[in-house]
Amino acid sequence: MSSSITRRSFTKGALAGVGLTGSGLAMPSLVRPAAAADRLLVVQWGAQWIEISEEIVKKYNETKDTRIAWELHSGGSAAIVAKIKAIWPNAPYNVLSVWDPVFRDMIAEDWLEPIDESIVTNLATIPDIFIQKNDAGQKMTVPLSTAGAFWGYREDVLPDGFDSIEDLLRPEFKGKVVVPYPINLTGLFIVTCAIQRGGDEKNAEPGWEFVKELAASGAIGQICTSNSEFINAMASGQYGVGFWNNGGWFATAENFPVKIKNRMEDNKGFLYNEGFCVLKGSPLEAAFDFANFFARPDINEMYNIPLGSGPTQPGATANPKIAEWYYKPDELEKYAYIADYAFLGQAKNEWNERWEREIVPLMRS
Amino acid sequence: MSKRYADAFFFTGYYGLIALAILFALIPIVIAVVLSFDNRTFIGPFPPTDWSFRWYEEFLTSDYYHQGLKTSLIVSSTATLFSTVIGALTAIAIDRGRFWGRGVLQSLFISPLVIPTVVIGFGVLMFASRLGIVDGLPRLIMGHIIITFPYVVRTTLAALIGLRPSYFEAALSLGATPYQALWHITIPLARTGIIAGAIFAFVMSFDEVAVSLFLSDPFTYTLPVALLAQMRANLNLTIAAVSVIFIIVTIVLIWALDRIAGLDKIVGQGVYGRIR
Amino acid sequence: MAFARTSAGSRSGTRASRVNGVLLLPALVLFLPLLIGPLAVLLDESLKPYEAGRIGGTEGAELTFENYTELADPAYVHYFLDTFRIGLIVTLAAILLGYPIAHFIVRKASPWLAKLLIASLIGMLFLSLIVRIYAISMAYGPLGPFNDVSWLFGIDPRSPAKTELMVIFGLLHTVLPLVAITLISTIQNINPRLEDAALSLGAPRWKAFTSITLIMSLPGILSAGIIGYAFCISNLVVPLILGKGFVLFVSNLIYFRFSEISNFPSGAAISILMMLISLTIFYGLMRLVRDKNGEARE
Repeated sequence: MSSSITRRSFTKGALAGVGLTGSGLAMPSLVRPAAAADRLLVVQWGAQWIEISEEIVKKYNETKDTRIAWELHSGGSAAIVAKIKAIWPNAPYNVLSVWDPVFRDMIAEDWLEPIDESIVTNLATIPDIFIQKNDAGQKMTVPLSTAGAFWGYREDVLPDGFDSIEDLLRPEFKGKVVVPYPINLTGLFIVTCAIQRGGDEKNAEPGWEFVKELAASGAIGQICTSNSEFINAMASGQYGVGFWNNGGWFATAENFPVKIKNRMEDNKGFLYNEGFCVLKGSPLEAAFDFANFFARPDINEMYNIPLGSGPTQPGATANPKIAEWYYKPDELEKYAYIADYAFLGQAKNEWNERWEREIVPLMRS
Repeated sequence: MSKRYADAFFFTGYYGLIALAILFALIPIVIAVVLSFDNRTFIGPFPPTDWSFRWYEEFLTSDYYHQGLKTSLIVSSTATLFSTVIGALTAIAIDRGRFWGRGVLQSLFISPLVIPTVVIGFGVLMFASRLGIVDGLPRLIMGHIIITFPYVVRTTLAALIGLRPSYFEAALSLGATPYQALWHITIPLARTGIIAGAIFAFVMSFDEVAVSLFLSDPFTYTLPVALLAQMRANLNLTIAAVSVIFIIVTIVLIWALDRIAGLDKIVGQGVYGRIR
Repeated sequence: MAFARTSAGSRSGTRASRVNGVLLLPALVLFLPLLIGPLAVLLDESLKPYEAGRIGGTEGAELTFENYTELADPAYVHYFLDTFRIGLIVTLAAILLGYPIAHFIVRKASPWLAKLLIASLIGMLFLSLIVRIYAISMAYGPLGPFNDVSWLFGIDPRSPAKTELMVIFGLLHTVLPLVAITLISTIQNINPRLEDAALSLGAPRWKAFTSITLIMSLPGILSAGIIGYAFCISNLVVPLILGKGFVLFVSNLIYFRFSEISNFPSGAAISILMMLISLTIFYGLMRLVRDKNGEARE
């Protein structure tokens, strides 16, 4: 366990530095010289994510004096994985906010500590299907948000919309469709195309056929690799249709009329979870207690409203603006799809190469 | 074609290209200035319909950005200082020398220019980790030295190209030591190139994201990393406001330098000075 | 006279080479390890086998060249060619536009105008690349005021070729000041009296310019071109955003491997290959610079 000692002492030293300069996200008010307090380094997204998290931590610190310092994800959340890999087992992080595919990667690398349910008592009410487990069946994550990837369109650009993504092959959609690079959204774009033609992630061949038709028809106007690119693309008005995550749609819907097509007869909407996990070698009690606070139903509700994602606690209410985007329990069977993210994690390398070799040349001609 | 027509044609082309270059350079800058006052959080049609100072306010009031700026200034100036001094000396040695392996060495020194910065960032992270360096600041400085060094070598070499070795030799034959000749002849004549290299080094380091992304730690992050982290959910135009502020600061600094010391003295005039 | 020159030359030659060693020392001792270290780590990574679903290469496994051999696919050759071709176009355009500006600043502009132009070129460099990209997509994009500029190049604004033009504009806007500033230092060190002499002997101005100043600055042009070209082919953000996923540079392929799919061995292999190809090109170019330089000095 020498690694954990290194990590903890590093965290301590670094936090002392922050205390001296009184700087940055660590919020000086939280860095009190209370000798007994635990220190946690939490990785979170920027913008709304960090804003609401800081508010919640303020509440948290009314009763607990654990000091929280933040690091923000700067690229995709996979970038933090590369970073941890390079310095493991000396990674300074304790709690990470990421999503299912990255949870799977980290479980595969054996970096995560199983969740201690005697401390994270709020995990009991979170539906079991949301929680990622290791090979031994232990619960490894604390899901905080239900997010999704859906087809949709701007109603002001394309008033007639579409009923099935087969329609997108028609000439009037030429150059109108925005899609993710196949490895963004962990390959769900290929999966939705596969489902369209009767396949799924494990039988992706029909999906590739559809993607080829889509590429050759000239329908694809832009391929995005990040949320801000998607938001800008949809805001330009040049494109009308897209397949993206609820975060991108939520931001687009703030400025333009958006219709989400998550109840199509011949396709599905994709659900996944974002939430916390705890790295090995962290001060476990403090980390789990911190995660448990975020999982409390009222906090869970507060956390998800500005993010435009669904809460994971059945007792929490979703942002009314996005109520339509998620499924009622009886609709789940018919419209919702939860992909096998462990499988997608293994497929992404091959899918990426396939895209580079087969699809991009089609669009350039 | 008569000489007069040919000359007229030549001058039209000459000034035409200059006008085109200035126009091409200016258009995006004007738009960037406009963007920095754009109230929207997405790239919409131009011109914007809604104006505000919010991005300037955000930059000027946020401790998070100030901390990033501080780190950026420390990292960029340290890396620039190192690269400029050592890079200029290296370039002079390469230009003057006729030694074995010179071409290979020169290629190696500029090789970081062609390696995507993501790769450099990752490589330095692994390398530093093996050396036991886990602190952000030394890692960042290491990475930034690698990316800035080649610029100084290249620009100094470019400035040395026109110089005949005979200047240096003349100084030697007049009894100067090689170091005196170097200090009083070669370095002053290559000054424009060295300064250009220092400027490139600073700018490339200051705007660099990919290397810093891998090398920063929670408490030591550069300004572009901080700005990018806030762009996840929406377009955050603070980055445009920062650019505008820096363009203005740069121009004011150059103006002030000119008033205080004279730009010609700092930048150098080459062998022949300014003749008109 | 001839004798004096050679003796001075050889004496200074030995002394100068000793000085050269001293000058090189800091780079050899301080910079080289800093560069070689990460490159060695990359080389090591590029030879590791990759197992799908894992992060990075497999430790302790037998080394393999598989990450290199799988690149021998026509599609990948295409990405390399695209990168080099677009880089070349941008570099040539930057020299075409940058040379007259540099020449104007050194030879023609009044002192204050020269200073203003130099300050602007430097200021221009401080425009963040990301802002630059958004500004360019606003100006020349489908909703921008200059959307139709592409017709000047014979490109329909709605065609995929427009995307490539946007990437070219995006890169050119950074490379132009880089090239122009580098050229200023070169042109400064060319004797203007040579051109004057040619003019007074009755040569037309264009001929005096091309046969003297331009020829003499060829090594400098190559040198500036190398900086611009290197910037282009290693750039990631411009093709990532302006390329819309249609125009992909080699750096994009590498980026995806490092950031999204965690296939570090393949990413490292492409990086090493890219570096070898580029360095071969540069080595050739620098031989050319040196030969030209040798001629110019005679």
